[in-house]
Amino acid sequence: MIQPQTHLNVADNSGARELMCIRVIGASNRRYAHIGDVIVAVIKKAVPKAPLERSEVIRAVIVRTCKELKRDNGMIIRYDDNAAVVIDQKGNPKGTRIFGAIAGELRQLNFTKIVSLAPEVL
Amino acid sequence: MVVSTTTLSIGGNMFSSQRWQWESHESKLFQKPRKHFRWLYLNDLHLLRYRNKSLNFNPRGGFLPSLHAYGKEAEDSFLSNVNEDTDEMFDDLMTKYGKVVFKKNDRKSPSAELDDDAESLSFAVAMAKVASEVKAADIRVLFVKPLVYWTQFFIIATAFSHPQIDAIGSKIRDLAEKKYGKIASGDTKPNSWTLLDFGDVVIHIFLPQQRAFYNLDEFYGNATLIELPSENRPPFRS
Repeated sequence: MIQPQTHLNVADNSGARELMCIRVIGASNRRYAHIGDVIVAVIKKAVPKAPLERSEVIRAVIVRTCKELKRDNGMIIRYDDNAAVVIDQKGNPKGTRIFGAIAGELRQLNFTKIVSLAPEVL
Repeated sequence: MVVSTTTLSIGGNMFSSQRWQWESHESKLFQKPRKHFRWLYLNDLHLLRYRNKSLNFNPRGGFLPSLHAYGKEAEDSFLSNVNEDTDEMFDDLMTKYGKVVFKKNDRKSPSAELDDDAESLSFAVAMAKVASEVKAADIRVLFVKPLVYWTQFFIIATAFSHPQIDAIGSKIRDLAEKKYGKIASGDTKPNSWTLLDFGDVVIHIFLPQQRAFYNLDEFYGNATLIELPSENRPPFRS
């Protein structure tokens, strides 16, 4: 359950370290974003000398949430952190590698590029 | 080997008789080891039954004297003894009952899985051939099934312009739909990294810069590379 003002970790090597959600993309006045949703975020912390800088506004896909993700078969997945991957307007990831486990639902939502860069898919 | 397994099974049986006593008195104290040993005991029963058939001796008669030898003080030594022999016992169980502990019902038989692999392989090779017809460069077909569970083959190709990416993508889509009845999900518009997802086969078409940037070849370096028949022909020169 990501909403504006939520801080998220960054699960890739794009150079950003921490994001803050400022808008959930979708319907107007959409409240919460879950795994696989795109948000507009601002970079709160960044690695020095990286292409992405602090206070830059970017798009990101949510890949992990503390709020549990329920599947039709009864499986429930819950992560320890809220994390997102920085993407550009066309949906290509800004980083070249993803860190940590991500959910397989991203593939159904047409983020197969992120899935194919991830070390572990649940 | 034989000696050690028999002593183990004795221990297991002895333990079971003691277990009944403990359970009434101080069950909470021994909850953890008991859990462990109940399992041992169950497995040892199998061993016992197996051994009884072959050696033909009465387990109760044989074990009663040994029961006296084990007091509560001797229990620690028994535990360490078990720990030493557990590896051996596991090996024994493995050889007897095989590797499968739990099996899902929806798993396909090995032959069906092989057929599935062959089908996707032929599909992947056909797609790579189409890509090479449209002058895609450096086409690599990777068998990634051992590395990731969500797909079987990756095709990575380089195209040199957006129109070429479009041409490769649309030609692959057409053939897949006409000949194999598969519809791709993924990118619909040409992109610097265009991805076509056919389920078992995932096709990546890159511009040269993006290919070097994302470096998927290195990331999936452990995957088996599949030789393409058309790869041996001399490169096109204008």
